[in-house]
Amino acid sequence: MTYKIGLLIDEKRYEAIKNLPFATTLKSMFGGDIRVLEIEVDEETSRRILAEFPAARVDARGFLEDLPVAFKRELFNAVVSTGSVGREAFEKVFAKIDEIKQAAAKEKEYVPPPT
Amino acid sequence: MYAPLEPHGGRLVYNVVEDRDRAASMSAGLTKVEIEPTYGPDGAPIRNPYREIMTITYGFVSPIEGFMTRNDVDSILRERRYRGWLFPFPLIYDIDEETVKSLGLKEGDSVLLTLKGKPLAVMNIEEIYKLGDRKELADAVFGTPERNGEVVKKRFDEKHPGWLMYRMMRPMALAGKLTLVNPPKFKEPYARFWMPPHVSREYIKSRGWKIVVAHQTRNVPHIGHEMLMKRAMFVAGAERPADAVFVNAIIGAKRPGDYVDEAILEGHEALNKAGYFHANRHVVTMTLWDMRYGNPLESLFHAVIRQNLGVTHHMFGRDHAATGDYYDPYATQYLWTRGLPSYGIEAPPYQVDKGVKVRPVNLGEFAYCPKCGEYTYLGMAYGDYKEPPLCGHPPERVSGSFLRGVIIEGLRPPKVVMRPEVYDVIVKWWKVYGYPYVTDRYLKIKEQELEVEL
Repeated sequence: MTYKIGLLIDEKRYEAIKNLPFATTLKSMFGGDIRVLEIEVDEETSRRILAEFPAARVDARGFLEDLPVAFKRELFNAVVSTGSVGREAFEKVFAKIDEIKQAAAKEKEYVPPPT
Repeated sequence: MYAPLEPHGGRLVYNVVEDRDRAASMSAGLTKVEIEPTYGPDGAPIRNPYREIMTITYGFVSPIEGFMTRNDVDSILRERRYRGWLFPFPLIYDIDEETVKSLGLKEGDSVLLTLKGKPLAVMNIEEIYKLGDRKELADAVFGTPERNGEVVKKRFDEKHPGWLMYRMMRPMALAGKLTLVNPPKFKEPYARFWMPPHVSREYIKSRGWKIVVAHQTRNVPHIGHEMLMKRAMFVAGAERPADAVFVNAIIGAKRPGDYVDEAILEGHEALNKAGYFHANRHVVTMTLWDMRYGNPLESLFHAVIRQNLGVTHHMFGRDHAATGDYYDPYATQYLWTRGLPSYGIEAPPYQVDKGVKVRPVNLGEFAYCPKCGEYTYLGMAYGDYKEPPLCGHPPERVSGSFLRGVIIEGLRPPKVVMRPEVYDVIVKWWKVYGYPYVTDRYLKIKEQELEVEL
């Protein structure tokens, strides 16, 4: 089974990916207030992600949610640097998994509130 | 059948002694047993039985008056009945064998249960028994794909908080009637939402509400929830809309990633403070309970407590009180339309002898339709039942966990997804705890401070 991860795309992120092929696949949600890049995740990769991050889960739409912000940020960086939304991007992320988990561990306790 | 419906079991339990002198004489000289939380494998508190003591003694789970004997537990696991009356979960006071031995506890004794060293309740010990293999117990409580294939899709494991709660119980159990001898004072913001059954039933009468729909929540409301609540009012009334929505939040230990309890309560309150619900059609209340996330079983628990609180109907949506994909997303609707024979419930809970009187309002999911410019109904499907969606356009589903992702990344959710006043409540409590959702740190703070003071 294939799952998905939705990466939120604000203006800054859009600038980084606008010339990549998948930029045309961005979804506009809720009347255009939010754009999302939907990335397909195969079962093996999903299992690994769920194992690495115990609070993560599959939601009603089949999306992996409650992922650490650090993971999503690295995934976005990997998508930009590899120009891919496939395995290459995830391999790049998993290469830094310890670092991401360290950042995520702090993030599990504290994320600055919006001002 | 107008509100308030008669209590489950026919009599509302109220085992609370408010008279200080009487309470002192009841407790004098009794052996003290400190109430111990249940911890997960990582040391995070996942349950505190004091919440069950409060819920039992104030009558939320009438006719139950105490922690269950081995026979009671067996009956629950065999046919989901407590002394004949439908009830889904074993309520177990678990304890270490060493504590039983060192305190010399024996059947027939009365003991004083203390919370953080202060008296809370007296238990008349009817039975002391061994729980056996708690993994087997946890499987029996929630079901397995082999035994309960109509609704269980995946074997439960340690990622399921309710299963883990039973798995991590201590090896022995004390059973017996409870009497609260030191009614605690609730802290804010809980105090203004604490409305136990004898109070809520009077409240419903005083408002003149005849048809009242309960809304279960463990969540800060997004607009999908608001639509469910509002639409449920029109289903429940049949010949006319219902009078009110009775929001009852479950307050206690929750899974990491859920919203903090304070934001759940105040988020729902914000809906009527900001006028999205007229105050005469909406009330926010709470029940102390560490969620089992038992989907259809939890829905039966919800029906019992809300019948005791006085409502006539209960709205059930997709993935009711669920986490993960252990159960079918419409397992609750399966129960309320067909029963769950593999758990011993042969027909819907309001159609069986000594079942509940609350009527279900089964609803599928609502989603935003950009073409219609409003929320639309997606319908639901389970077994051979399938509803078509209300409109013919592709909708945008509002997933609570997607929304959590938006929030944690520091973005204000679109107004069509969440009321700004509700978001402001989330940020208010984010500033208090440094995080908008439940974390291990929050669970530890909650365990230390609890919702009450004695």
